[in-house]
Amino acid sequence: MIRKWMSLPLLLIVFFAFAIALTDYENLYVDTARIFYQTYGYLYTGSLNLVTAIYLDFRLLDTLFEAGILLVAVTGVSYIAQHDQVEHNPLFMLDKFKIPELFVSLARIIYPIVLLFGIYVVFNGHLAPGGGFQGGSILATALLILYYIDLKKKTNLQLIFTIEKVLYLLLISISMISFLTRGEWFTNFIPLESNLLLKSVFLIALNLIIGAKVALGLTAIFISFLKEGR
Amino acid sequence: MNEWLGILLQVFLIITAIAVVMHQNHFTIIILMSVFSIIAATLYTINQAPDVAIAEVAINAAIIPLIYVIAISRQRELIVYDKLHHQQTKPNQKLEGDVYLYLQRFSQKHKLKLNFCHDLKVSDKVIFQDLNVDVLIDRDKRNDQFVLKGKSSNVLMKKMMKDLKANERVRFEMVEEGENLD
Repeated sequence: MIRKWMSLPLLLIVFFAFAIALTDYENLYVDTARIFYQTYGYLYTGSLNLVTAIYLDFRLLDTLFEAGILLVAVTGVSYIAQHDQVEHNPLFMLDKFKIPELFVSLARIIYPIVLLFGIYVVFNGHLAPGGGFQGGSILATALLILYYIDLKKKTNLQLIFTIEKVLYLLLISISMISFLTRGEWFTNFIPLESNLLLKSVFLIALNLIIGAKVALGLTAIFISFLKEGR
Repeated sequence: MNEWLGILLQVFLIITAIAVVMHQNHFTIIILMSVFSIIAATLYTINQAPDVAIAEVAINAAIIPLIYVIAISRQRELIVYDKLHHQQTKPNQKLEGDVYLYLQRFSQKHKLKLNFCHDLKVSDKVIFQDLNVDVLIDRDKRNDQFVLKGKSSNVLMKKMMKDLKANERVRFEMVEEGENLD
């Protein structure tokens, strides 16, 4: 344990180190990476959205670990929330939990629009702002609204976990195909010289998988919160 | 124009952050938090990061409030497990008997929703360990007493025990909670 007074000199040391590092201005702001991505990003990957170009092509390995973190988080939440009681009446807590009529009727109107918008964001991840994670979380919102409309809805949580794990394996295996075609790990598997439209097939496929995985993962977290301690 | 808008929004951001900390009502805090994240998303868009803005709106303004609403409405319930099974009441129906009347008054006093359940066939210890049942109602046939059981770690249960000490028809017992790993 660090005592309270010891944290003050520690903070001062960190502050001075930070200030010294800031004086080295010219080495801090190197824009070679920015110029590289701006000039070659679209040509190499076929993605107008440079963020997607980075996270699905240049730095795909980082994305794989990011998706893995979500998987670990969902597994941890489901482990903490689990209990092995047989649920005779699993809704005994929620039947008296009243939701305003206004919210329910508005949610019924909004639900299909949100669903459509989420799918749009996932599919257009390489052309416009958005992508798998953003679209997936919008889809998850739509699925959560469904639980507010109908609280007695039953879901098979185990099936959701299984689908999520299979999708993660699919993500890894699709991103490893590039070793056979290009001789490089974790990048686009369509050869570098081919058509830009053809290259976007890979981006759409990966965005779809990531979107489905994120949507299912966030929904699973919500459902295990809903079931926790019942 | 955009510069001034940015400064204005940053001021709003600080005001909302302070309001989140200072406010008392939980549901208002949830609304304030989603207002906070919408302002933040607008700032991201002004600073040319639309991808981050979409993620911010989808997660912090939509999913997290929905989860919080469920979590907070859970905390406002007094869950009573009725072992005697002769009361299948809904909260607005009239409750009969001393214990039921007392529980109703207690939950009104502390602004909780009373919630009865009666269809679990497990032992007492398991009920308190694995399910978040607050009070358990049983009957002692020899002394003709009602027996109420509650977790010793619950603050409300201590108040309930103090209330029920004078009553002869009701006995209150504390149940020790097993040491959990978490």
